[in-house]
Amino acid sequence: MTRRARLLLCVLAAACLLPACLHVALHMPPFGAHPLPYGEAINALATRQRHVTNMVSAVNFDYRGLDTLGEEFMLLGAVTGTAVLLRGSRGEQLTARPGRVGNRPVAPRSDAVVLICRALAALTVLFGVYVVLHAMTTPGGGFQGGAIIAAATALIFLGEGYRGWRRIMRTGLLDAAEGGGAALYALCGFAAMAAGWPFLHNFLPLGTPRDVFSGGLMQIENAGVGFAVAGGFAVLFVEFLEETRAERDGDGA
Amino acid sequence: MIGLLPPLPVAGPLAVAGLLLMLSKALPRPLPDVIALLTALGVVLVCIVLAGHAAPQPLVYWFGGWAPDAGRVLGIGFVIDQAGAAIAAFIGLLFAATLVFAWGYYDEVHAHFHVLMLVFMAGMIGFCLTHDLFNMFVWFEVMSVAAFAVTGYALRSSALEGALNFTVVNSIGSYLILGGIGLIYAEAGALDFSALAQGVARAPDSPVTAAAFALVMSGFLIKAAQVPFQFWLADAHAVAPSPVSVIFSGAMVALGVFGAARLSFAVFAPAAPVMRVLHTLLLGMGAASAVLGGVMALMQRHVKRLLAFSTISHVGVMVVGLALPDPAGLSGLFVYLVGHGLVKGALFMVAGILLARCSGIDEVGLRGRGRGIWPAGVAMAAGGLLLAGLPFGLMDEGTRLIGDAAQRVGNIWVVPAITAGAICTGAAVLRVTGRVFLGLGPVPGEEERSPTEREREKSDRPLWLMLLPTALLLLLALGGAEAAGAFAGQAAAAFMHPDTAALLGPGAAVPPSPPVAPAPDPPTTALPWLATGLALAIAAFELTRRRLPGRLVRGFDWVTRPPLDVLRTLHSGRVGDYVAWLAVGVALFALAFAFG
Repeated sequence: MTRRARLLLCVLAAACLLPACLHVALHMPPFGAHPLPYGEAINALATRQRHVTNMVSAVNFDYRGLDTLGEEFMLLGAVTGTAVLLRGSRGEQLTARPGRVGNRPVAPRSDAVVLICRALAALTVLFGVYVVLHAMTTPGGGFQGGAIIAAATALIFLGEGYRGWRRIMRTGLLDAAEGGGAALYALCGFAAMAAGWPFLHNFLPLGTPRDVFSGGLMQIENAGVGFAVAGGFAVLFVEFLEETRAERDGDGA
Repeated sequence: MIGLLPPLPVAGPLAVAGLLLMLSKALPRPLPDVIALLTALGVVLVCIVLAGHAAPQPLVYWFGGWAPDAGRVLGIGFVIDQAGAAIAAFIGLLFAATLVFAWGYYDEVHAHFHVLMLVFMAGMIGFCLTHDLFNMFVWFEVMSVAAFAVTGYALRSSALEGALNFTVVNSIGSYLILGGIGLIYAEAGALDFSALAQGVARAPDSPVTAAAFALVMSGFLIKAAQVPFQFWLADAHAVAPSPVSVIFSGAMVALGVFGAARLSFAVFAPAAPVMRVLHTLLLGMGAASAVLGGVMALMQRHVKRLLAFSTISHVGVMVVGLALPDPAGLSGLFVYLVGHGLVKGALFMVAGILLARCSGIDEVGLRGRGRGIWPAGVAMAAGGLLLAGLPFGLMDEGTRLIGDAAQRVGNIWVVPAITAGAICTGAAVLRVTGRVFLGLGPVPGEEERSPTEREREKSDRPLWLMLLPTALLLLLALGGAEAAGAFAGQAAAAFMHPDTAALLGPGAAVPPSPPVAPAPDPPTTALPWLATGLALAIAAFELTRRRLPGRLVRGFDWVTRPPLDVLRTLHSGRVGDYVAWLAVGVALFALAFAFG
């Protein structure tokens, strides 16, 4: 199709869709007057039923824990797929040589950058662990904390350079964290079944509300998510940064 | 004991996938294959048992033990009816056959391919069994993400475009579905199907409900590759490895129709305007897809593209089955879905055998090169005849049921449309068989001007290992049509009138459940034989162009060429064009609601 024909088609479609959208918008529940039956029910029940104060975690890991199981494996599928796609065109061998663009000089890192990165990487991991652990009491949890932990690996790259970073990042270990974390979530469900409950039933002691370790089984699921997300995001960093390394003969075939 | 089974077909493969990824570096070569195959077979077994226990009442399973409290649903439930469990079993079977077919094919990526396939399978099965709209979307996305990943495996840069078109168009479909979920949640304040149906019943004429239906259906019809959303399918199939194509055409595309059917009956049935659009617009889309897919299939020379267009045509038949307001149409859809999946899976396996053994996928280039692997030719001929409508097996039973439904509700015009589509796709496959395996047809016709690709796949597997699953799928497609028809009739009745009150527990409102009229056994006609004969005649015409009078052939080409050129131009391979057509498709829903 020519550009013109395509534009004409879009305009025709829009001419039909815009009045329809307007019509629907005018029949929506009025602004601010949404009935939120689900949210209200959870707010009223979760603290009593599950001894947690972070309602989002209660929904994610307990009331609708099955959704999170699916989302966990969606992430795993996306990361594994990315790894397969990128490795497919690049091969799996590692190299100690970083890539260079043309004749651009590689400036030596200053000691200040190295020092700051080392200090910040450690603190970032610590903060990530904190966010993971406080899933049941304050906003945050395995997804957010895992992403923060993975972000620390980018700081390692910045501070240690390609070679040092590559020595630390073992893809086998990262795959294990990713797959193991996701499997842990699924196995929590099976553990509940082994104990005679429905899949993913929260059968562990629930603890006291506002305590870091409240929430029972949700804690373990949350840890699984933390491992899976940290491992998965770190795999993505490795794969994307590997794309920048020096090409050997026969690459890019 | 049965009460323990419902989570297994979904959570089992997921747990195995996670563990496989964890141990991917440590597991020696054949183990990932063995583990994945055993998992798929286990899923088949569990789903068959579930299907056996899903009547007269469906199996209800509340995850986390969150059963509804006085009609209020907080958790997520699986409601496993006969249709859902049987199709889940079929999906597991197709995966098992594919894993045998691809044995060792993916060794160099460790277990990553198996991880993706297991996640893919779990997503599809969860999609069939769930009873919660958002959870359904989650499984739909799991399925999509895994599909994007396995399409691009060993991607060549020339093929990047096809994979990107697939990803972009299907991602837009996901956004549409998510938008629709938002609208229906705003209107009905629930996500569980039964609770949603009650919400819809409270305001059956609400434009918000109609818009939600339009958006969700558009998303599912994009997955089902129906006119005018169909463009991505052929591009994706042309680039996907053949084992992946087996799953795409055999199950994934048809699941779009299954999802559309599930929501239509479980959620939107109380809304009369919505059902009116279902019975008109979708009927037209399905019939148009059946014809367009058939014609486009006849024009192709790239065998996988050809089969992809035939999938569009046959899924169109399923959409017709959904759109006909008669239980026989729905039971026809179920039988046809399984029958078509088995036949099309087998045909894509033959395409994979050609890629591995003859190092090519171009029909014209492969002329006569398949003589050494004649069993594959037999399989392909059988598949072609079944696609055309040979009166044996599941596809025929499904076609017959849908035809009867059309007759009963007075939509007899769709029968010629779906028959024409079947004839064209059958003729196309038979033409390929004659040319590749018998060396016929030295002078190609219209197909010569279609896009093609030099392509090959690793030939590291013995021929028998690839033929075994192919033959198994074809044999299954041939057998048990009567029993399948009866089972599907029962399943369709339960599927169309889910027992909302029983699911939500005491305290829930009881919508009246209309009685189901049993489908009478109609007389058999000569139509299937006629269709098969016509398909053979078209294939013979295409293959003997050189011997026919030149005037006849030239006259035929003079008449057919201009419209076919228009069709070919429309399938441009440009994602911008596809998105423009997608907007037109959504606009069609708006028009149907405005004037329907």
